[in-house]
Amino acid sequence: MASVKLTKVKKIYDNKVVAVHDFDLDIHDKEFVVFVGPSGCGKSTTLRMIAGLEEISEGTVEIDGEVVNDLQPKDRGIAMVFQNYALYPHMTVYDNIAFSLRLKKVPEDVVYEKVTNAAEILGITEYLMRKPRALSGGQRQRVAIGRAMVRDSKVFLMDEPLSNLDAKLRNQMRAEIILLRQKLDTTFIYVTHDQTEAMTLGDRIVIMKDGYIMQVGTPTEVFEMPSNLFVAEFIGAPKMNVVKTNLVREGDEYFVTPFGAKLPVKGEKGRMLLEKNIPSGEILLGVRPEHIVLAKEGENAIACSLVVNEMMGSELHLHVNTTDGTGLIVRVPTIDLDAQGRNALVGGHDLHITFEGKAMHFFDPATEKNLLV
Amino acid sequence: MNEKRHMGLRTLNRVSNTSIYVILTIISVIWLLPFVFITLQSFRVESTYQVGYVIPKQWGLQNYINLWNSDFKRWYINTFIIALASAVLITIIQLCMSYTLSRFRFKMRGPLMRFMLILGMFPGMLTMIILYRVLSDLGLTQANAVPGLILVGVASSGMGYYVSKGFFDTIPKSLDEAARVDGATRFQVLCKIILPLSKPIVIYTILTAFMGPWGDFVFARYVAFGTSAGYNVAVGMYSWLTNDQIARMYTTFCAGGVIVAVPVTILFLCLQKYYVEGVTGGAVKG
Repeated sequence: MASVKLTKVKKIYDNKVVAVHDFDLDIHDKEFVVFVGPSGCGKSTTLRMIAGLEEISEGTVEIDGEVVNDLQPKDRGIAMVFQNYALYPHMTVYDNIAFSLRLKKVPEDVVYEKVTNAAEILGITEYLMRKPRALSGGQRQRVAIGRAMVRDSKVFLMDEPLSNLDAKLRNQMRAEIILLRQKLDTTFIYVTHDQTEAMTLGDRIVIMKDGYIMQVGTPTEVFEMPSNLFVAEFIGAPKMNVVKTNLVREGDEYFVTPFGAKLPVKGEKGRMLLEKNIPSGEILLGVRPEHIVLAKEGENAIACSLVVNEMMGSELHLHVNTTDGTGLIVRVPTIDLDAQGRNALVGGHDLHITFEGKAMHFFDPATEKNLLV
Repeated sequence: MNEKRHMGLRTLNRVSNTSIYVILTIISVIWLLPFVFITLQSFRVESTYQVGYVIPKQWGLQNYINLWNSDFKRWYINTFIIALASAVLITIIQLCMSYTLSRFRFKMRGPLMRFMLILGMFPGMLTMIILYRVLSDLGLTQANAVPGLILVGVASSGMGYYVSKGFFDTIPKSLDEAARVDGATRFQVLCKIILPLSKPIVIYTILTAFMGPWGDFVFARYVAFGTSAGYNVAVGMYSWLTNDQIARMYTTFCAGGVIVAVPVTILFLCLQKYYVEGVTGGAVKG
């Protein structure tokens, strides 16, 4: 059990490329923090610096209050699960899990107890005498987790542990990691490029881009109040619709005017705009596909034509073009439509959409920052 | 129509396979003939000089007994010591070098590798004279040729890093990292993770390191420089082929040839599977 503190951590490679810029983060004891971002954003590099597998160019990493910059990985009290499992191919599952304990010269009866205990929790007891090549991807990942579990480490590091699994198994393993977290009750740092994993697993999410932290927050915070356009578009699937439009202030009321419509910004968002005294002007307006609804023709509705209708089972993803050719995505729960309505939604079909003020996100077109944060 | 074509293909395959096997059989017979010839001559006891027939008229082990009573024993031990010591030391140095170049990133790593590769392209014979001077100054020539030859063989062995480095490169680095997180030192990573996964390349390295000194002639002759106590088998046996000795020693020479071939043949027969994997394969499959 331990806290992890990163202060102004920087990674500069020999070719002068800066992979991580001034990374500041406080991870609390027993917290589950997820680093998420696109490829090359520095999330794995940061994790590897915490693990001691990558040298820290500047700044400090503290685990449980102790600066660990110059400590070997084995002395940092961490355990790590790798993306490609990194199981030792010449050893049985039992030997793989027991490896770290035997290096520490733990008595063999204790090793046996710990290994069988971990295997039982992970449901791999029957595979203990097999070599890794005789296991499926999911089983291999469980062994990798088991190997990390027996080390009784202060911090559990996971580097894209589910990326090599197929979609179905990934969902199953995700649930198992949540259960495992409850059982182990330790600090977790988890790296992924999959925002669904980040949202479902993390107590807090660290969203990264080009070596910079874009936002740190709970899944609800980053979803509902993204601090900038990058976070807004990265979190959520399908990604947020963003259009350039005008914000108009009339007295104490605000309106947005996308595609010739005039939509009022009411409620909490309107009040926040007023509090911040945001002037009229051009903005980037973001609306999530699930917050757009089909509407009847009128002043508050945007006319568009349907291009593609993707049937996802529980919902439809409607790719629509507005009158000026801008593409938007609308997510409609299938349960909201009767069979007739569903059948009518074919390519070329004209429809109207609208959205409420509480669904709107406002970004500065120059800085791309959220105007309300 | 299809069936006819199918039959035609099958016949064509059979003909081509048969001709390939016939050619291979002829080649292997030609290749084996000298070995069979030498082995048969080594059991000929009716005369000791070269004769115009292959099958001995009288069979016996006299030539092997002669061998035992000659300097051959000394030469054989010399060769064995040189080959064994070289094999052990070269293997250790070469594998450590390969692991370092495969896993560590340090300044001048690339230039160093290229430099060694280019240096390795020059024939070793070019250094013969200066090496002899150095060995002579160190007192490692003639009767002391054995340690001298070991030193020469081992000294430049790190330069043969590329085959094993290529093999180590196929082992994912995450295995090293996982082991390091698990508490292993770099040396433990090499011994407990990398080497067990690299059996074929370790065996390949041992075999090639053993074979070089085992069959060495030119350099060994040069360093021993006429002192029988410093000869290896190749140099020693060559001394039997002089005009005044050959008539007396020819069949003994053949017996020596057989004895020299025995350990190498056994080694290859036992380890050929790994040898082929070492040259052709990667480490981690599936």
